[in-house]
Amino acid sequence: MSGRSAMVHDRALESYGFGEGHPFNPLRIRLTLELCEDLGLFEGYSFTGAEPASEEDLLSVHSLSYVRCVQEAGRGVTAERSVELERHGIGTPDNPVVPGLHEAGAHIVGAVMEATRLVMSGEAEHALCLSGGLHHAMRSRASGFCFYNDAGAAIARLKKEQPGIRVAYLDTDAHHGDGVQWMFYDDPEVLTISMHESGRYLFPGTGGIEERGRGEGLGYSVNLPLEPFTGDESWISCFEELVPEVLRAFEPDLILSQNGCDGHALDPLTHLSATTRLYEHIPRRVHDLAHDLCGGRWVATGGGGYDFWRVVPRAWTALWAAVSHAKVPEKAPADWISRWGGMGPVDLPLLMQDLAADYLPPARHRQIADKNRRTTHELLEKVLPHLE
Amino acid sequence: MLLVKDSMTREVATLTPEATAAEALAVCRERRVRHLPVLEGGEIVGIVSDRDLRSATPALGDPDRAAALERLRVVDYMSREVTTVEPEDPIEQAAKLMREERVGCLPVVEAGELAGILTSSDVMGALVGLVGAYEPGSRIEVALSEHPDALSEVVEVFRKEAVKVVSILAGPEHDGGRVAVFRAETINPLGLVERLEAAGYPVLWPPRPPGGGDRS
Repeated sequence: MSGRSAMVHDRALESYGFGEGHPFNPLRIRLTLELCEDLGLFEGYSFTGAEPASEEDLLSVHSLSYVRCVQEAGRGVTAERSVELERHGIGTPDNPVVPGLHEAGAHIVGAVMEATRLVMSGEAEHALCLSGGLHHAMRSRASGFCFYNDAGAAIARLKKEQPGIRVAYLDTDAHHGDGVQWMFYDDPEVLTISMHESGRYLFPGTGGIEERGRGEGLGYSVNLPLEPFTGDESWISCFEELVPEVLRAFEPDLILSQNGCDGHALDPLTHLSATTRLYEHIPRRVHDLAHDLCGGRWVATGGGGYDFWRVVPRAWTALWAAVSHAKVPEKAPADWISRWGGMGPVDLPLLMQDLAADYLPPARHRQIADKNRRTTHELLEKVLPHLE
Repeated sequence: MLLVKDSMTREVATLTPEATAAEALAVCRERRVRHLPVLEGGEIVGIVSDRDLRSATPALGDPDRAAALERLRVVDYMSREVTTVEPEDPIEQAAKLMREERVGCLPVVEAGELAGILTSSDVMGALVGLVGAYEPGSRIEVALSEHPDALSEVVEVFRKEAVKVVSILAGPEHDGGRVAVFRAETINPLGLVERLEAAGYPVLWPPRPPGGGDRS
């Protein structure tokens, strides 16, 4: 089966970052790729590079004035323009201005579009682009470290090239996939599913079960907000109750998954309590569902993940292993540990999987699981009638 | 901002006192409303709800129902004591009235004439807009000290961290303390939380991240 999976990546994609001290750091991609490499998971594979997305593609989901602002910001910002740019979320502590911003952002969009092209053309069965997953980018606003919405633009391109195509977007980042949701909120051909920490407690604050789409698209936006401190057990059982049933009812032609791994207990920006077990489970199941429902057509992207030494490399190695039908070895490779150990503020993990004993369930785990189960049932009752 | 006129509905469905129950219920259905002001010579003489009319008529399926609906007049079932507000009234005043008078709807009167209607759902809408619930943001709860400058000092921390405040709610003292709830336009409140705590303001949400994170 190997050879039919693609990793879309080139070095230029690693330039999307905001410098030291900013939580969004492309070092996490480097750490992941080298971990996969040292584990031998790239044997027989070569990376597929990508061109930056065209302006036309960006404009399929972003406004012209916004794209102009991003282009302008990347060339330098004058004081008198900064107020206007800030109205678009550009130049804030979350979304700082760095040189070449537009080019780096457009390149990521182009890479995710290349991943979908490979899969739709049959050149690859599954494709992964770790740089993608910038799901908070809005039509006219940068938000939550995201300037251009790669999944949004890739879906828009698919819809243009293959009218009538049904795309399922599945987002398991700890934060609500708001940007992608709003872009297709009234579109019954694009199903967006987002499981995330409840907006009552976490950015961006949206993603309640009552956000279900609008007009023709009513029922095609599916949101499952999880309680803070939700652990693997409850996460996985909610996923299993919700995702297969909703995807089956929708009958997608392609699954596009956003694989943020910031719901891990160690992540500094969120309050969920997952471990590597969740991040092995999800891509394996998405892989199987893609084979059951849409001929295996599956494009995966990265997303959030801010403990980039201990969590992201292992979570996304598990993701690549699912995409490439490989098994993750038990131990982290010695080469990787000796090369990167001591470079960060924490010790690198010696094992590829977290030990359950290191992550005891939180005190209220039964109440948390009950609440999540009730939310899942209520959600299914509300959306399934629209999808069937 | 936050006045009745900003949240009221301007096009109001009304009735005359002589309208029949059947006519009134038809208006409720078509306009999808539950309350109808009753006007006589341009002046409000009462208000009637779909519930008033339903409880006055025989149940669905009762053979007498159709005749009763044609026979009953609104004037006999409306409430004559109508609580109203004015367009320039603050919305919290309207909310307080609704609660105290136990009504779900207030006709809005300007210079003696009906100018609009405000429902409890309109008030909720104003609240949702006020807290910026549709804008991306992180919720941050800060315990304020009793010092009168506490709120401005806390806001100053936001300014220094260059984080935009989407909304602030800070009520009077409650349960022996005062809490301000901010909606901040950031996915990363860590720096802010650290500075607030360093300035002596305990942050009730979000919690501090697990130790040893990779904040460099």
